[in-house]
Amino acid sequence: MNDLLATGDTSRITDVARLTGVPSKLRWLWLAALLPVFLGLLVAGLIVTDQLENHRIYLSGRTIFVAPLVGVLLTSLMSVIILIEWRAEGRIRHAISQREVQMAEQRRRFLQRLDHELKNPLTAIRTGLANLAWLASDETRQATLDSVDAQALRLSRLASDLRKLAELEVRPLETGPVDVEELLQEVLAAAQERPDGDQRHLGLTVPQAPWPLPSVEGDHDLLFLAVHNLVDNALKFTGPGDTVEVRAFEDGARLVIEVADTGQGIPEEEAPYVWDELYRGQGARGVPGSGLGLALVQAITERHGGQVGLRSRSGQGTVFTLRLPI
Amino acid sequence: MIPNPRILLVDDERAITSNLAPFLERAGFHVAVAADGEAALDQVDRFDPALIVLDILMPRLDGRAVLRHLRDEDNWTPVILLTQVGESTERAMALEEGADDYLNKPFDPHELVARIRAVLRRARPGRPPLASAQKLLCGKLTMNRTSRRAYLDEKELGLTPKAVALLEYMMTHPDELLSRDRLLDAVWGWDYPTGTRTVDTRIAELRRALGDDPDDPRYIETVHGEGYRFVGQVEGEEG
Repeated sequence: MNDLLATGDTSRITDVARLTGVPSKLRWLWLAALLPVFLGLLVAGLIVTDQLENHRIYLSGRTIFVAPLVGVLLTSLMSVIILIEWRAEGRIRHAISQREVQMAEQRRRFLQRLDHELKNPLTAIRTGLANLAWLASDETRQATLDSVDAQALRLSRLASDLRKLAELEVRPLETGPVDVEELLQEVLAAAQERPDGDQRHLGLTVPQAPWPLPSVEGDHDLLFLAVHNLVDNALKFTGPGDTVEVRAFEDGARLVIEVADTGQGIPEEEAPYVWDELYRGQGARGVPGSGLGLALVQAITERHGGQVGLRSRSGQGTVFTLRLPI
Repeated sequence: MIPNPRILLVDDERAITSNLAPFLERAGFHVAVAADGEAALDQVDRFDPALIVLDILMPRLDGRAVLRHLRDEDNWTPVILLTQVGESTERAMALEEGADDYLNKPFDPHELVARIRAVLRRARPGRPPLASAQKLLCGKLTMNRTSRRAYLDEKELGLTPKAVALLEYMMTHPDELLSRDRLLDAVWGWDYPTGTRTVDTRIAELRRALGDDPDDPRYIETVHGEGYRFVGQVEGEEG
């Protein structure tokens, strides 16, 4: 896996380096720009030669200077245009290359996490299988088989979750007007059914004045899933007696849904990564989850033309935000 | 059901066939294995299977090409496709081309046995499967799969697209216990734990539209703690 990482990343970096050279289209334009100078000099040369030999062309001596001069002017003009082009393109290229480096980095982190997610169950499976040969009693054999089965199931889930996440990014949405207040009530009702749901102070705040929340155009079931995941997270990372608030409001252009909790919070250095696939922060160790929940929330929100965000204070709590176009 | 039905298992991955074939044998089937599409067509003639379990991604001739070839020759041996592409459009296409059912890899082998039994139970020898019929009929209920519309007593039902897809899946799998997870996976394309409520909402929508009483269902029965079952007698019709 480490070799794969290395080769994968080097090829990306070479790509980036190649991007910073002079693009071939501009190289040809430079050559074309030199043409007027060349023509000007050629004309002047012909005239001089002709006059030296038999004086058949009668032109004033000034023409000999005017032709190359026009050539130089035209070439300079074209050069300026090309330079402007080149710089503009350079800026775009720079942005692209930065994005490429960022993506390569993101991809490296993802592969590392995937590696980790695969290694643990695989090690458990191989150890279990190795043990099977030695185990004498049926009881211990069964226990080992059960644990191997559980790890295989874990790998299966990981594979299908990743596939579904990838599919979500391209599959057509089934959109229609979604009543957000109703949706949030459904999410809260589902949360209250969780065994730990009634140990938190769960609240929903939705404005009624001066008008109720507008509906958004979206896929009801996917939006339900997104908000539900956020509430589910909030319940997972809070303790009995903590508060989980779901709020929604609009600012004319966007409808904002917030899920806030008084839980353990997310350390500042972890905040940029929580949306990444398979990312599990320090605080998530020992809490069940696939590490794909927030990636899913982000994918759903972005498919709806919206953005996700979060603010958190360690030890105080977190507020996740979804902004959806109205 | 015929004792020891013959199953042709087609997959190029030996790790799969060498474990799955004995598993299916123990489940009471007589199993033959083919490692690619061409070998599969060869085996269909010689082994005369009651059902084919067919992987999609294979060298030489892939599973969909095998399926198309069989159906073109008017061979309606039931086929369960093993997909890993997972794209919902890909799955829909597989059904249109005449597959009886599909199962996503990685799958639970017990689930495959359950699917094989269900497909064999509803197989109508020599006739196209319900899964590829253009029209599904059940008493007063008609579903036109091309226009994606459902009618009760010839009056169109105002259903959401998801409810139509759910009804379609249930009608093409009549008399089969369909867990919420399976419905989510087949109709919604995801089966996250939060989704079960989503299924219940759509089932309620269908029941309202169909005027179906959950306590005495003509169409959709609730199997407590497990899922749903389409209890009506379904007939398929072309065009």
